[in-house]
Amino acid sequence: MSNKQNHPSLLPQGVFIFVYLAVLTALEFFVALTFNSIIILVAVALVKAALVLWYYMHVYKLGEEPKEDHESYVYKAGTNRIGLWLFLISDSFVFGGLMVMRLSLLGLTRPDLNQTLGFFVTSVLLVSSFFMNRGEVQLHNGNRKGFLQNTMVTFVLGLFFLLGVVLIEWHTVPAIAEPILHLFGEPEGKEPLKASSGPAGAAFFMMTGMHAFHVLTGLIFLIIVWVNGKKGLYDEKQYPVEAAAVYWHFVDVVWIFFYPALYLIGTAI
Amino acid sequence: MRHFIVVGILIILVSVLLTIGLDAANLMPLDASAQAAPIDWMWKVMEIAMSFLFALIVVPMVYSLIVFRRRRGETGDGAHFEGNTTLELLWSSIPLVVVVAFSVIGAGNLSQTLSRDPNAMIVKVTGIQWSWKFEYPADPATGLVVVSDELHLPVNKQVLLRMTSSDVIHSFWVPEFRVKQDLVPGRFTELTITPTREGNYKVSCAELCGTSHAFMVKPVLVTTMDEYNAWLAQELVKAKEAASTPEGLGQLLVAQNGCAACHSINGAVGIGPTWFGLFGSEVELSDGATVVADEAFITESIQNPSAKIVTGFESQQMVQYTFTTEELAAIVAYIKTLK
Amino acid sequence: MKNNSLGKAFLLLVIAGAVGYGIGLGLDALVTGGLNFSGSVASAFTLLFGFTAFFFGLYGYRGITRGLVFQVVGTVAGALFVTGIRALLRLTAFGAFFFSEPAWVFGALVGVLSFIAGVGIVTDWYKWARGMDTPEHHEDEPGWEKYFSVSLDHKVIGIQYTVTALFLIAVGGTFALIFRTELAASELQFLTTTFRAFNQTGPQFYNTLMSLHGMIMIVSILLGVSGIINYVVPMIIGAQDMAFPRLNAFAYWVAVPASVLLLMALVLGGFDTGWTGYPPLSARAPVGMQMFFLGVFTAGWSSILGALNVIATVLRMRAKGMTAMRMPIFVWASIATSIIALTATQLIGLSFQLVMFQRLFGMGFFDAAKGGNPVLFQHLFWFYSHPAVYVFVLPGLGVISELLPVFVRKPLFGYRWIAMSSLGIALVGFVVWAHHMFTSGMNEYLRVPFMYSTMLVAVPTGVKFFSWVATIWGGKIETPTPMLFVIGAIVVFLLGGVTGPPNAMVALDLHLHDTYWVVGHFHDTIFGGFVFPFFAAIYYWFPKATGRRMNEFWGKVHFWLMTPSFLTLTFGMMYIGLRGMRRRVADYDAALGFDNAHLILTICGFLIALSVLIFFINFFRSIKHGEPAAGNVWNSRSPEWLVPSPMPAHNYEVPFEVVGEPYDYGLPGSKYVEFAAKKAGKH
Repeated sequence: MSNKQNHPSLLPQGVFIFVYLAVLTALEFFVALTFNSIIILVAVALVKAALVLWYYMHVYKLGEEPKEDHESYVYKAGTNRIGLWLFLISDSFVFGGLMVMRLSLLGLTRPDLNQTLGFFVTSVLLVSSFFMNRGEVQLHNGNRKGFLQNTMVTFVLGLFFLLGVVLIEWHTVPAIAEPILHLFGEPEGKEPLKASSGPAGAAFFMMTGMHAFHVLTGLIFLIIVWVNGKKGLYDEKQYPVEAAAVYWHFVDVVWIFFYPALYLIGTAI
Repeated sequence: MRHFIVVGILIILVSVLLTIGLDAANLMPLDASAQAAPIDWMWKVMEIAMSFLFALIVVPMVYSLIVFRRRRGETGDGAHFEGNTTLELLWSSIPLVVVVAFSVIGAGNLSQTLSRDPNAMIVKVTGIQWSWKFEYPADPATGLVVVSDELHLPVNKQVLLRMTSSDVIHSFWVPEFRVKQDLVPGRFTELTITPTREGNYKVSCAELCGTSHAFMVKPVLVTTMDEYNAWLAQELVKAKEAASTPEGLGQLLVAQNGCAACHSINGAVGIGPTWFGLFGSEVELSDGATVVADEAFITESIQNPSAKIVTGFESQQMVQYTFTTEELAAIVAYIKTLK
Repeated sequence: MKNNSLGKAFLLLVIAGAVGYGIGLGLDALVTGGLNFSGSVASAFTLLFGFTAFFFGLYGYRGITRGLVFQVVGTVAGALFVTGIRALLRLTAFGAFFFSEPAWVFGALVGVLSFIAGVGIVTDWYKWARGMDTPEHHEDEPGWEKYFSVSLDHKVIGIQYTVTALFLIAVGGTFALIFRTELAASELQFLTTTFRAFNQTGPQFYNTLMSLHGMIMIVSILLGVSGIINYVVPMIIGAQDMAFPRLNAFAYWVAVPASVLLLMALVLGGFDTGWTGYPPLSARAPVGMQMFFLGVFTAGWSSILGALNVIATVLRMRAKGMTAMRMPIFVWASIATSIIALTATQLIGLSFQLVMFQRLFGMGFFDAAKGGNPVLFQHLFWFYSHPAVYVFVLPGLGVISELLPVFVRKPLFGYRWIAMSSLGIALVGFVVWAHHMFTSGMNEYLRVPFMYSTMLVAVPTGVKFFSWVATIWGGKIETPTPMLFVIGAIVVFLLGGVTGPPNAMVALDLHLHDTYWVVGHFHDTIFGGFVFPFFAAIYYWFPKATGRRMNEFWGKVHFWLMTPSFLTLTFGMMYIGLRGMRRRVADYDAALGFDNAHLILTICGFLIALSVLIFFINFFRSIKHGEPAAGNVWNSRSPEWLVPSPMPAHNYEVPFEVVGEPYDYGLPGSKYVEFAAKKAGKH
């Protein structure tokens, strides 16, 4: 039985959702820079997360498949789907714990970070989710070439995000980080945040570090499905691609909360 | 029906016997504080509750095991009843009401132990691995503060202990006083105690704090107000006398800061090297080098203990102390006298 | 064949252990310049080499042996890698235990990953990543050999879990016997300041043994719980296997390197914090602390992934007609357990990870001097560690509910309420954690809501007890060994339960906290909620696994020796706790008058150990020499007993459909399941 369902309508939907997300992100940035209302920032984050969870991660697919034939691919993919979501629920507790740590140690203060860079990497990650969704839908529609192209764009954008955080924001290689930060408007001679500099440094590096680790594993997952896709897999059995996409969007959802928590909410110290 | 009556009587009987037995066993230590009263009352209530709950389950169970056992040659199954909604509702709602009631009582009980006297005497407590440091209210005349590793308290006067730790988490506990509170580095915690019986007690650390946690025990002496004041005055005199010579000051500082928890003064092997005959001797370090234990070495060992570690003591980690230059010199002077 | 391999294995253990010892001693001498005979490095290498060689002798170079070899090589390689980088960066390359702490941590992590690669558990997944297909089922080798390699069969995995748990119980119990011997009399007898073992003095070694006793036992409970659930759940829901068989095997095998890491903690300087690992003390403990943290972190993966599998299996693989309210009650218990294990476990991983990073990179999460908060650790830690105790006991309570109807020949009273009570306990269990922190310095009156929530747990727990009594009442009761342990479980768990409320009452807890009262309370809850049901489950399902019964006489000896000893132990603990005996102390003042009580506690400990030894002998002997028991030995309605024993490889060749209630004992003509008509052609 064919697993192909032609949903041309999902492509424009993906664009609409991205536009909403982009507008909300711009709103978020604006609110943070002006009157910094915590309630609005939290509300915006929740709405963005809900959009991604519903439209990009298609959580409504859970339990949707017919229940009769337990041996069918569709049913087994449904079991895998549940397995992945259980994993994501579990993983959320790690990020939840990190949030608790940040709120407990920093309260209404936040680390003093470069806002332009923060907004830039956030946008890059959001755009990567857009392309991921596009790629997943195109595979669904039978467009292998579209799937490969969009997945590759996702990968490159994800890599950009990773480097933006781990190389630049973290000041890992000052020779590269400093000029780029200067480009992003970082004032001269500003002391870079260190992991050992108090609670702000500790919270920042642990949160971005754990998130970066998940971005890295997401990138590995993407490469695997891209290479296999190139080899001609995923004609009928497309679940691995769905899984890679859902995982990638999850990483984006985490950042939807971590971005305001680290960059926007509270007064910089 | 007959079964229920028998079981009911047995439950009451066993509950009563257990309660009486627990009470007679006198399980709580001597009560020596005002805070002990509500706590011991709650314990008595718990004795009744535990006995009753235990009997409530075990009696019918043992009864069933005997009365409803399969006898030799008997076949067949037990009575077929699957449930009883009324019973379920009863044994869910009644316990719900009971636990809420207990919590209400427990909250009131807690308040009683927390009642604060605005005129309470304040004693500052510092936990150090592995000793106790008590700082008494300053003498109004001279402004001097008595520091001791013993806790002296006047009977029937509330004391507010303001506590902190200089290294890891410790916990203040005198069983006869009942109440307990952790000492946390970087913040102050408080404990309110009103001793009601004169006597000699012991304060023990009640939060695992490392190698000598078991031995972090110091005397607590509850006396009359006059005896307490006399002791305080005596300690002030001793402190003044001691401060008059560097060696005396050093000895006093050593007593106050619990060095004896690790360093003996008589040559006995302890957690740290003995001070007996230390000054001027040759010391072998863990990296193989040999140094002379002079002023510089001893001073460095107090301020930065991990810089040089004596061979055989690698697994220990001494706390870093912050003393003034004068105090450090005094301690060295005292150690010099130990031969 | 097996006896020869066992002999060879022990011989190789000794030889390789000696070789490892020599290598370790030599490496240590290279760095410290002295011969540290009872030192840690020598011991660490002895442990690693000896263990690996033992399995090599027993089993050859495959499965667990390959895993262990990879772990040793991986650990050393990882440590050397970090050492090299440190040397290049002009940092101190070596440390007190030959390698520096970062080197040991990274090495240990690489070691764990290497074990996973070496034992062969990721082979299929690797193939899938390469775009290759793999057969859905793997045939296992016949005989005992399959237990030492990767098997995808949930029954094999269940037994692997169970036997590993029993092994850890023996190790953890031995540690307890050692320190209980010291505690039998006041004043230090042999764990003195001049005593040396693994670079630790006597009191330090006491702290390490006591801390590891706690954590090794906890890991054994998690594995034991996984063992019962993995073995039983697919069978009783009519599935061929778990939803994710490879994940199942992974979750088991990851626990083996985790256990190695915990044992490494013993020899790399130990640690002195108790299993709770509170900073600041844990931030300054020896390297053993990091091995402990990493070992627990790894064991956590086992718990989380196992739970994921259970939930997916129960949701997706039940037999036809098995609605939620017609599932065996043990399945409800497993679901409730798994909800907790899936989620809360991440928090102990996180809290330990934060301390690890504080040690490695100076990140000041819990360092007051850096603006951190030591009490934050306690909140994060207990947010898992309280729900964890329900992970420990909910399956056992499920075993009680599952077995009672069989032995009293009556329906389980109030099935729905019992099912919901497991979920209720799990849910309420998430909001009580700070009752472990009443003296911590948390806000004085914030303690009150936690008292309310803690007392609330008593309501669903009470539902279980009342339902059990109502189930037993009016039955036709027989008491073979499994039933004895069920009754024992109820009584012992009841004691644990009734000694809980005194701790919940905040003011009273100020006296009880950190005393032997608490130690008595939790040994009661753990033995009642896990240990006794664990034995009950083993005695009960042993015939299903092996086709033989365990010896009934020795089973009764086990019970009647263990139970009074254990009750005496816990009553004694609670008694001295009330009267002022602090916990986690290597010694106590003779003036307290506790010497006699402590002597009795130690004797009880040894008697319990003897009873467990009897159990071990019974268990292993009965595999080959037990009385044959091929059919429905307990006359149970449950489907697994309606097929031959030992259980066929794929469980049910002919699927069944649920046509009635699970526990309708005493209802003539009622059936729980009906097997489908056999295919034409079979007789």
